[in-house]
Amino acid sequence: MVRFLGHDLKEETMNPPESENRAMLRLRDIRKTYVMGDQQVQALDGLNLDIRMGEFTAIMGPSGSGKSTLMHIIGALDAPTSGSYQLDGIEVADMDEVELAQIRNRKIGFVFQGFNLLSRTTALENVILPLVYGHRKNKEESAIAALERVGLGDRLDHKSNQLSGGQQQRVAIARALASDPLLILADEPTGNLASMQSEEIMQIFQELNDEGKTIVMVTHEPDIGQHCKRMVTIKDGKVIEDYQVKDRLLAADILVKMRAERDNYKPVLMEQVPVG
Amino acid sequence: MNVIESMKIALRGLSSNKMRTALTMLGIIIGVGVVILVVAIGQGATKRVTDTVNALGTNMLSVWPGSSHLRISAAITKTATPADPTAPAPKISTPNHLTLDDAKVMARSFPKTVDAVAPQVRDNVQVRLGDKNTSTNVTGTSTDYLYVNNAEVNRGRFFTQYEIDGSEKVCVLGQTVADNLTVDSGSDLTGKTISINRQNFKVVGMLALKGSGAFGQDQDDIIITPITTAMRRILNRQYLNYLSVRCVSPQMMPLAQEQISNFLRNRHHIPPPYPDNDDFNIRSQTDLMMRQQSVTSTMTSLLSIVAVISLIVGGIGIMNIMLVSVTERTREIGIRKAIGATPRDILLQFLIESAIISLIGGLIGIVVGVVGAILLAKIGGWNTIVNTTAIAAAVLVSAGVGIFFGIYPASKAAALHPIEALRYE
Repeated sequence: MVRFLGHDLKEETMNPPESENRAMLRLRDIRKTYVMGDQQVQALDGLNLDIRMGEFTAIMGPSGSGKSTLMHIIGALDAPTSGSYQLDGIEVADMDEVELAQIRNRKIGFVFQGFNLLSRTTALENVILPLVYGHRKNKEESAIAALERVGLGDRLDHKSNQLSGGQQQRVAIARALASDPLLILADEPTGNLASMQSEEIMQIFQELNDEGKTIVMVTHEPDIGQHCKRMVTIKDGKVIEDYQVKDRLLAADILVKMRAERDNYKPVLMEQVPVG
Repeated sequence: MNVIESMKIALRGLSSNKMRTALTMLGIIIGVGVVILVVAIGQGATKRVTDTVNALGTNMLSVWPGSSHLRISAAITKTATPADPTAPAPKISTPNHLTLDDAKVMARSFPKTVDAVAPQVRDNVQVRLGDKNTSTNVTGTSTDYLYVNNAEVNRGRFFTQYEIDGSEKVCVLGQTVADNLTVDSGSDLTGKTISINRQNFKVVGMLALKGSGAFGQDQDDIIITPITTAMRRILNRQYLNYLSVRCVSPQMMPLAQEQISNFLRNRHHIPPPYPDNDDFNIRSQTDLMMRQQSVTSTMTSLLSIVAVISLIVGGIGIMNIMLVSVTERTREIGIRKAIGATPRDILLQFLIESAIISLIGGLIGIVVGVVGAILLAKIGGWNTIVNTTAIAAAVLVSAGVGIFFGIYPASKAAALHPIEALRYE
């Protein structure tokens, strides 16, 4: 699992030994209320959720179900109105802004739908950024290793706008990986991508999970959810369904098929042309 | 995140929008440049005045006849009614009575305070040498003139007491007069005979160059003759225009001024109140210089206010641009916060950006100001002094302006909520 030399080993030795049952993420009776004008909107309504280390969880639900709010709370971007959220045994629910920023920096790696890379900035600089904010050592080495991991070792000095959507998303994954977080949190990571690129991204996620990374992915596409190991469905701010995925889709297999189809497409056309 | 990383990020932010950065800097460049220039001009003018005071000697008193200006103007306002604006100014009771005897007795009376007295009569005269003609000032005075006025003869000699007693037709020339009477400059007319108001005078010496005075007058445009000669033979006067008094020391000046005033009141039988009824004026050279200096410093402070206002306007320009920049980069701020930037990191980033704008602007402004001051001195002939304190202050002030006007936009950026910032389109 330890792929990157730059990360903090001390943190791991402090943690109790890995156990399948230990909940890395523990949300209890989470409520989030927004005030919109005179109206109160209950985005999360007493939600409970445990996620264990090494899981690959899809959070699904229609729009307005509260899945975005849940992602913000899991990602320490927002604090719940009430309830308890423990990440790696630490209570996050009542942290202040600075502590939340540190949690985001050290424990969580974000992958967004819109990539959210800094414009006019190279891939390497984008990936280094969380390491800079985290005062890490060996920033450049860790960042290069992360970019090589997502297959962009030859694109280090390309600026964001010189990369395709799929490549940009891979830079974003590298950025999430660089600081070796506990949890990778992906919000509709394939939402802006064509199907081939989507599968490539999902392949990276599946490989990372196989290497032991814990991944939580918010999506509304059942196909994408089917790539994960566990599927949690949210509605009206509560978990209404939570099961292990059967017949899991493997991106690697799908890609083989897709590439074969693409490569065979032209010869098929050629064959249709009568010869002689 | 350390300051060097923040500076790198800030520099990238600035270089990505060069035109805007340059325009924002312009406000600071102008502000700092003007401050440097104004300080240079002000200090140059001050130094010129101080130099003149020192050249004149700080223990000089000037006495000249006539009522004090205050009394005349008071009398005019009292009598001149709006109904009759053409009414003649009232006659002052005692006209110009300052005699050679006044000067002689004065010089003897206060050995502890008054060192020497140089009585003077002055007027314009027509001077001729061969076919060259010029108009200049003739000053009739005593042998103490050189000592009292810190003047020197560098060729020939000054006239003697013997020549004064005999009202001899001898004179000493300033260089400007000599230059005006000959073809080439720097000429020495010692031994020549020139005509002053159609009378022949022998030139016995030349005065050393003095340059221009505190008020810009040419101090070398002068002819000096024995006082008796000037009074009787050239100008036909009985009274003096002016007395230069040299005191023993600068500390004795107030006492000397008091003593001379009382001496003249006694001799002229002037009734109180004083100094309203005085028929003479007495001023120290330093008083006159101080007045000149206060005019200079008023000018300097007025210009400085303008410069400071332009600095403030420049600062507001920075604030304006930084606010635009924060709004424009809301999404970037959101991304940075999502990957772990603390509010302090964001604050620092924007503060450093605005500080860099104004610091670089300040440095360019210093160059502009210094070059401007040098050009003014070279081309305009102004006295300018660029001093390092002003430059150091300008650097500090410009950095301060950047930080002060950057605080609000930067704290606005730091306070953005990460989710809202990420959603911003």
